[in-house]
Amino acid sequence: MKKAIRLSRRAALKGLGGATLGLPLLECMLDGRDAYAQAVPPRRYIVFFDGQSIGADGDSSPNQVVPNTLGPDYDLKEALTPLGALKSEVSVVSGLKIPWAAENGGVIPAGGRADVHHVQSLSPMLSGVRSNASRTRSEGATSDQVAADFLASPAQVTAARRSLQYRVQADWYLSVSAAYGRDIISYRMNGANPVALPPTVSPQAAFSSLFGTFVPTGVSPAEIAKFQFDLRARRSVLDLVKRDTQKLIPQLGTADKARMQRHFDELRDLEQRIAAIPPPQTSTCVKPTDPGADPVIGSAQPYNMNTMENQYNQNSGYSNEEQRARVFCDLIHMALACDLSRVVSLQMTMFQSHLNMYQLTGQATDCHELGHGGVPGGNRAMARGIAWHVKWYTYLIQKFIDTPEANGRMIDNIAMPFIFEGGHGRDPEQSASMSSHSTENMVVMLAGRAGGLKPGKHIRKMNQHPATVLVSALKAVGYTGNNLGEVTGEVPELFT
Amino acid sequence: MRNVVVVISLSLCACGLSGCEGLVKGPGGGATLDPNTEVGVSGIRRLSRVELDQTLADVLGDTASPAQQHIAPDPTNPYDNEFKQQLPSAALIESLERIATEVADRLIASPTRFAEEVGCTPQGPSDAACLRSFVETFGLRALRRPLTEDEVLGFLGLQTFAVEANDFKVGVKLVVMAMLQEPEFVYRVEIGTPVAGREGVQKLNDWHVASRLSYFLWGTTPPPWLLDAAKNGQLQTSAGVRSAAQRLIDDPRAQANVERFHALWLAYHRLPHAPNLTSAMQAESAALVTKVVFQDKGDYFDLFTSEQTYINQTLATHYGITVFSGGATGFAWTPYRTAPRKGILSHGSVLSAGAKFSDTSPTQRGIFIRERLFCQSVPPPPPGVNVDEIPSSPTSNCKIDRYSAHASVGGCKSCHQNFDPVGFGIENFNRAGQFRATDDGQPSCAISGQGELTGLPGGTQAFQGVVGLADLMVGSGDLEACTVKQVYRFAMGRREEAFDLGLLDKLTASFKDHNRSFQGLLLDLVSDETFAFRRDE
Repeated sequence: MKKAIRLSRRAALKGLGGATLGLPLLECMLDGRDAYAQAVPPRRYIVFFDGQSIGADGDSSPNQVVPNTLGPDYDLKEALTPLGALKSEVSVVSGLKIPWAAENGGVIPAGGRADVHHVQSLSPMLSGVRSNASRTRSEGATSDQVAADFLASPAQVTAARRSLQYRVQADWYLSVSAAYGRDIISYRMNGANPVALPPTVSPQAAFSSLFGTFVPTGVSPAEIAKFQFDLRARRSVLDLVKRDTQKLIPQLGTADKARMQRHFDELRDLEQRIAAIPPPQTSTCVKPTDPGADPVIGSAQPYNMNTMENQYNQNSGYSNEEQRARVFCDLIHMALACDLSRVVSLQMTMFQSHLNMYQLTGQATDCHELGHGGVPGGNRAMARGIAWHVKWYTYLIQKFIDTPEANGRMIDNIAMPFIFEGGHGRDPEQSASMSSHSTENMVVMLAGRAGGLKPGKHIRKMNQHPATVLVSALKAVGYTGNNLGEVTGEVPELFT
Repeated sequence: MRNVVVVISLSLCACGLSGCEGLVKGPGGGATLDPNTEVGVSGIRRLSRVELDQTLADVLGDTASPAQQHIAPDPTNPYDNEFKQQLPSAALIESLERIATEVADRLIASPTRFAEEVGCTPQGPSDAACLRSFVETFGLRALRRPLTEDEVLGFLGLQTFAVEANDFKVGVKLVVMAMLQEPEFVYRVEIGTPVAGREGVQKLNDWHVASRLSYFLWGTTPPPWLLDAAKNGQLQTSAGVRSAAQRLIDDPRAQANVERFHALWLAYHRLPHAPNLTSAMQAESAALVTKVVFQDKGDYFDLFTSEQTYINQTLATHYGITVFSGGATGFAWTPYRTAPRKGILSHGSVLSAGAKFSDTSPTQRGIFIRERLFCQSVPPPPPGVNVDEIPSSPTSNCKIDRYSAHASVGGCKSCHQNFDPVGFGIENFNRAGQFRATDDGQPSCAISGQGELTGLPGGTQAFQGVVGLADLMVGSGDLEACTVKQVYRFAMGRREEAFDLGLLDKLTASFKDHNRSFQGLLLDLVSDETFAFRRDE
């Protein structure tokens, strides 16, 4: 039975600002319980990215990701051990493949990549659009941005929270090179041009952006008044800066104008985020604890000058990614619970990640070298690095399970693919087999029960494009298309 | 005195070429532009993290380095100020707001700093005169130009919050928050006056020139005396700019910035060593740069040929230098004597570049030398090359054989011959700069230290070790042009383009003609007629 909506005077006034923008009824005009407890909960889409392949060079033993058994109640190998009982909430789709140029007469095929590895798999994996051999970026809109097109509410668009982008790995960690695109996994299209959406790496900045406008609870009226005063002052400051920026733009040359316009657009978005009325805090939407100062950014990868071996058993090449992962996962959970946004990309590690794994897994090597024999153990060594990522994936899933929503749980309204950089198999660069530089035998995991997803099974789709899993994930949250970029198709078994 | 001669000779030269006719007169006097002179592109440049932190320290005494804390690392290639790589994003804007808020909070929390920076004693929360005085003086420092009356009034509008809160400090806080997010604080914005008949070319005003000078030479905002010079029209002539530049160069901040330039150029701003070794290596290289550029002021190429080095006991032990006079904790200039070392290329800092596979990579070192010191462009590996594969040979475990076998596959040799032999010439030094006679863990694999450089004016030339490489580079006739190019890239925040080639040739010729004086190069660059002009991208 649909309840009549009654607006309080205060709520109506709140909505007036929005009404002048020509928006429909705003959620802030609704009574809190209606909007946040009883209404049909929104669906959410979260991309979780691990910058690793699933197996190590030259190791022909079974990789430690793909279960032996198909169907439900699959066996957990070492890399997926952290899932534990939550494997019933996660489907594993294996056998996937991104095609490459060498098998297509040297021409990069639709949805494919150049033969070189690493960042060449970025575009086809995340957007379904073939890579460009001379560029290190996505050539199409990534799946999170496709989702944002239809998932983001008008209020979220107005509040410039169409999507959230975060990265746990804080730095590239090499001294003589740079990430060159390995550090960004979200792109939206501006006409025919992909526009990068660099992630926030500062947990403190993410917290402040998401929850800085939440009225503190359990404090005196005077403190609340001070909080509201500060918020008004902050908006006035931004308004002044925005006006000065706007005055500057027409005076600039073409290229500078475009740069400053983007700066202005981002300023306007920030102002709108601050202007958005925060949702009422409820039993499930609670302002998180301030995470405090960000962990210090670590120095370049170290090594021991006596042995000339990389010396990972110290804090270099590491910026407390363990703490960063926890804070970002907590913030994402609460941002979705409070419906601040419905789309997130979380890049745990960069493509070809040089994160020091010692503090995370006890392995004296970096994440990338795990695939290249950085420590003995081949696939089993690699599995420990993957397991660290899976641990946080599981952590998020558990939070969504534990959060009640409408007549169910948050997990019922979520699709959360876990994406790897590569698979394990043929390497067209080397004509090698069992290589970590391969997009054969790729795996995409999918958690969540949105749209009738029935998780908890292992599905093998030999040589099917991994983006088809993303198409299914998108459909689960309401996508009406049948493709992601150049890739058409899906994995219907995810719903049966 | 020598520098004065340079000015005169250059200006005579310019007159000789143009016949002193048809010169475009800048607004209100100032620099003129020869119609035949091309002007390079410049765009809005966001302050790098380092520049932002140094600027905050200078304009407000805030030394907490908040930019390092909140802003993602600048893209470096190899410099951290390439404006075409700078991308505005939600993450950047939020970080800037965070920084502005923290800095403002710290200022009003410190009565001493507050009194110093505000400079007047407020007579209550609505004291508009005191706030105006702060807006005008702080605005000049922050935006690097005087504020217009409209702008001042905009900032004064924030005082309503001070009145509401009954606290003058609130007004100051909000002014600081706003000023530090102003586009003209975050970016160096140059809006000049169009030059008649020169499409897209603009003449900069004196405030722009002051900012160009101080960010290039100090990596921070113009000091008050330089802003005064701009205000008083003292930067309208090449001589005036040169004189101001010399004053900047004579300040320790120029030393720090020139050291930073070298650390970025030669890739030792971050080193993968234990902290004590890292700091000793960076100190060693900084000391040589400072000695050559700021103390000796002689031939800049002494940087590459110095027979002594500034080390402490840690580094002496590390390098195997036994005769050391610095005591247990001090640094001392120490002759290399018989050690096969010479100049900065033999520093552990520079030799740390190009490591791979837990060892040196002759390929990476060769590419490093070619790109950084010969300014050549090395194309990326072609498709089908696995750069993560450790080179191997079916017949030998010795590194030179393994690389040779690796590079002989298919068409690899045509490229690898240009860099692997360069790297093998300095292979006697491991990736921390220690000497070794054999491959690590392979005592039967002797390292010869024989290298060769292809593509020199005299064809391919052989060299022996880091000493031979330094001599070859210095004698090649190419190093001067590359030095100039690297300085120019750092100065302009971008790679050189066709419009720049005339200026680069001119600067290189002058650099060669004047005993390769590095200070002379800096002065020539800033006092060139083009320094006061820009071209739209």
